[in-house]
Amino acid sequence: MTTLTTTAAARAVAASKIYGTGDAEVRALDAIDVEFAAGAFTAIMGPSGSGKSTLLHVLAGLDTVTSGQVFIGDVDLSTLNEKQLTIVRRERLGFVFQAFNLVPTLDALENMTLPLALAGVKPDPEWLDTVVRTVGLSDRLRNRPNQLSGGQQQRVAVARALLARPEIVFADEPTGNLDSRSGTEVLSFMRRAVDDHGQTIIMVTHDASAAAYADRVVFLADGRIIDELVDPTAAAVFDRMKTLGD
Amino acid sequence: MWKVTLKGLLGHKVRFALTAIAVTLGVAFMAGTLVLTDTIKVIFDDLVTSVTRDTDAYVRSRDVIDTAFGEQRDRVDASVLGRVREIQGVREADGVLQFYAQIVGADGKTIGNPMGGAPTLGLIWNPGSLTAWRLVDGRGPTENDEVVIDRASAKAGKVEVGDTVSILSQQAPATFRVSGIATFGNADSAAGATAALFTTPTAQFLSGAVGRFDGIQVAGEDGISQRELVARITAGLADPAVQVITGERLTKENQDAFAQQLQFFNVALLAFALIALFVGSFIIFNTFSIIVAQRTREIGLLRAMGASRRQITLSVLAEAVAVGFLASLAGLLAGVGLAVGLKALLGAVGIDIPNGATQILPRTVIVGLGLGTGITVISALLPARRAARIAPIEALRAATTSTTKRLVVRAIMGVLITGAGVLALLFGLFGGGGVEAVGFGAFLIFLGVAVLLPVIARPVTRLIAWPLPRLRGTVGTLARENAARNPRRTASTAAALMIGVALVGFITIFASSIKASFASSIDQAFRSDYVIRTKGQGPPGLGGFSPALAREVAEVPGVEAASGIRFAGADIEGRATFLGAADPATATTLFDIEPRRGDLAGLGPTQIAVSTEKMRDEGWRLGQSLAIRFPRGPANLTIAATYGAGQRAGLFDFLISTEAYDLHYTERLDSQVFIKLEPDADRRVVTVRIQRVLRDYPNAELQDQEEFKASQTQQVDQVLNLIYALLALAVIIALIGIANTLGLSIIERTSELGLLRAVGMTRRQLRSVIRWEAVIIALLGTLLGMVIAGFLGWSLVHSLADQGLSTFRAPARELVVIMVFAAFAGVIAAIWPARRAAKIDILDAISYE
Ligand SMILES: Nc1ncnc2c1ncn2[C@@H]1O[C@H](COP(=O)(O)OP(=O)(O)O)[C@@H](O)[C@H]1O
Ligand SMILES: [Mg+2]
Repeated sequence: MTTLTTTAAARAVAASKIYGTGDAEVRALDAIDVEFAAGAFTAIMGPSGSGKSTLLHVLAGLDTVTSGQVFIGDVDLSTLNEKQLTIVRRERLGFVFQAFNLVPTLDALENMTLPLALAGVKPDPEWLDTVVRTVGLSDRLRNRPNQLSGGQQQRVAVARALLARPEIVFADEPTGNLDSRSGTEVLSFMRRAVDDHGQTIIMVTHDASAAAYADRVVFLADGRIIDELVDPTAAAVFDRMKTLGD
Repeated sequence: MWKVTLKGLLGHKVRFALTAIAVTLGVAFMAGTLVLTDTIKVIFDDLVTSVTRDTDAYVRSRDVIDTAFGEQRDRVDASVLGRVREIQGVREADGVLQFYAQIVGADGKTIGNPMGGAPTLGLIWNPGSLTAWRLVDGRGPTENDEVVIDRASAKAGKVEVGDTVSILSQQAPATFRVSGIATFGNADSAAGATAALFTTPTAQFLSGAVGRFDGIQVAGEDGISQRELVARITAGLADPAVQVITGERLTKENQDAFAQQLQFFNVALLAFALIALFVGSFIIFNTFSIIVAQRTREIGLLRAMGASRRQITLSVLAEAVAVGFLASLAGLLAGVGLAVGLKALLGAVGIDIPNGATQILPRTVIVGLGLGTGITVISALLPARRAARIAPIEALRAATTSTTKRLVVRAIMGVLITGAGVLALLFGLFGGGGVEAVGFGAFLIFLGVAVLLPVIARPVTRLIAWPLPRLRGTVGTLARENAARNPRRTASTAAALMIGVALVGFITIFASSIKASFASSIDQAFRSDYVIRTKGQGPPGLGGFSPALAREVAEVPGVEAASGIRFAGADIEGRATFLGAADPATATTLFDIEPRRGDLAGLGPTQIAVSTEKMRDEGWRLGQSLAIRFPRGPANLTIAATYGAGQRAGLFDFLISTEAYDLHYTERLDSQVFIKLEPDADRRVVTVRIQRVLRDYPNAELQDQEEFKASQTQQVDQVLNLIYALLALAVIIALIGIANTLGLSIIERTSELGLLRAVGMTRRQLRSVIRWEAVIIALLGTLLGMVIAGFLGWSLVHSLADQGLSTFRAPARELVVIMVFAAFAGVIAAIWPARRAAKIDILDAISYE
């Protein structure tokens, strides 16, 4: 079934998202065209209010566009109903949010396997072992989130996102609440997932040094893509951000 | 500060609406009861007053005894009437009699007395000014075979002046010509009672009071006060056996007698209203606790900005006052509507209450508003104190810490309160503490268990839900953990249901034990082939059959023996009690009461048989004489026989012969007639013959042993269903409580639920999580309720062992049905919260800040 397709894991075609009407109208996304390559780590950057989270949400099927189209692989998300979207999220996508990532009543292992359990699928034990070892939480699996540090919690969240072997992992400022050492742990773990296992990751971030872990950086302002950098360094990203006037 | 309170109220309309409903329902029930009984009381007071409005004095016997069936007074000799009429100052005097007389309509069916409701009265037709009866058609009875009937009966039985009707009384059924139709004042009937009014000789014959009256109504001449008239009659009669009272006192006594009956009804209904409010208080407590927890940050901020603890407490309490007051007000209004509706409903089932203005007394308003508001405020006290303890620093913390350090204190308190409750209950049941101690004990047990519950809620919840994860996977795990995560909240939600279920389960066990006891005493004592009992569900002892029925049936070919049994009250050795009366010669053939010593079959008119238990308890000996006061005067009866099946076996401790009964009572009605067929008789043929006799007795029904048992059981079931209906309110409030708690928890868990949805939980799965959580909470409440129900039922049944409650039976099937029903009710309670949870917007939920 891959005959007709491009290599893009996800793409937006003339995607607009408009909140409110009349004077109160806000164009969070303004006819955006963007593609995200499979097997790559892409960072989305831009000033606060530029539409980063909105872009991520519509790409991930958590929100709908006002006009235009969004594809995950070949599938046009706008043709799916609520239940189909849920299944797409459960089976094809993974998520890491800035906070409230874990269910407090479930332990670390249960949290990691949650999407699989909801789908009624048993995790592949080898892959589970690999992921657990990579996040370095082997001895913490039976702990509840309130017994884990912020960095450990985010690593559990990333592990959850990877465990189902999703086509794409979406992360919205995953290190926004972490100190720099924990942030580094989480980011290098994501990098390794891309390098070692060909995982596709799309990450929104504020932070130039975080964006430097990515293969490519997309810059957003006022709901439009205004620039991009390939193989970025922290310094280059930082420079670009300054010109955007964040 | 008040602005904050107000905003708090307006900002959470739904949760306050749910809290308010808990209060509103309870208050509505209470106010409805008060309004209804007040209204009925005023109507009946008017009615009672109108019966005796023109009576200035009343002459009656001084002999009155207290019996198990209430006060019974002897009749006066008819000659007193003539003497009264001659006394100076007496303008008018009439003899009165009131007795059992049931009219048979044109269709051959009896009129009136549906479900043992209003009585079917026989009366003397007095044409003078003292009566409230007014002819609207025809004329009064002048011949002894004439009768005047009330207009309601005439309508119901399609009877017109000139028709002939049959009338059942303690004499053989006889036909009368309807000479007239009368109204009671302006009403078609006297509060739903049927009335047949006869000439004096006929009335005396039908009531077995030949030459006697119940009493004599007297009107004085103008200008003579009631007291003066009483004094003159007393002096004029100079008869120590006779008592003369004023018309006012008579009215008052009649009103009081009615008020006392109404009071019973009133207290019973109010008890259920209080139960509903008690259950509601758990809901209120829970809502305020959750709201305070959710507002921890906001309250911390207020404290940081300088609000004092007192101000915080007051602002929470102000909210409680506002909610409680508004809810009570709504309850009051709903209660008035309920009373009007109930009155119409009573009318619809044949318990006719005359029209009258709905009575909303200031007391009703004050009690309704006061109790509703008071309970709300009391329930909010602890949450308010908890709010005041919030430190300013907590504005900065995400507050999801649950305090577990006070669990030991809680456990000790819970055990102490429960223990005190058990003691109070046992004292009430076995130590003579009475129904108040029982009620208070039950209240303490509920409270104690509710205090204790948070300590054990977590493990018990996990235990109840252990199969869930295996059955429902992650959905099951989440439901179980959600139910266990906040034990205090789960506990108080479950406690509300626990109370309702405990009472439902208890009453089920109690009724089941009564039925089992009935059945075993019938199995044991029933030796006859058939019994004739009154149709409908009237309480035994009221109404019955003329002894002529038993005589007629005894003569039917193929019947070996037929004998009536009567129940009556008497004062035996200074104690109000009840006894049975039967024909001793046939008694042992018809029922087995296990004769022991003496000659039961030869029991004479001056003798009595006593159960062996009673003999032992009292230390009586065979041949001893007992001092007994009967309605017709005192007598000494000798204990001539003993028997084994007394009250403890569901029968009676004293038995006299029908002959003795006839000497000491004027009312001669058989409650039941037992029939034994000849051994070689053709059952079918004889049955047809008996049914032919019964055609003249349309209130009679022929039953075999199984049917008899079933009809006894049916009576218990009717009362049981009534109590179920009354308890339903408490259960409904508890379910609203589950819905409320879950709804509030969902608000609290918005981001967590949004996360679950984001990572792939379907709406259906999410709804399922909420539903299972509700089922777990419902089962927790139900299980505990069952345990308490078992204890309450067991102790009540055992305390009544010597009243004939021989068997304790916890009916497994019914109790399982209650469990299943509770679980299902949990699902229903979860409908709204589940829908709400499914509607959560994922983006709102996961957006940080
Ligand atoms: N639910 C919403 N309603 C109205 N406006 C919104 C909503 N969500 C986002 N916006 C607006 O859309 C724009 C883009 O928001 P967002 O994607 O969250 O920006 P970013 O993540 O880059 O800070 C902002 O101007 C924001 O105010
Ligand atoms: Mg954002």
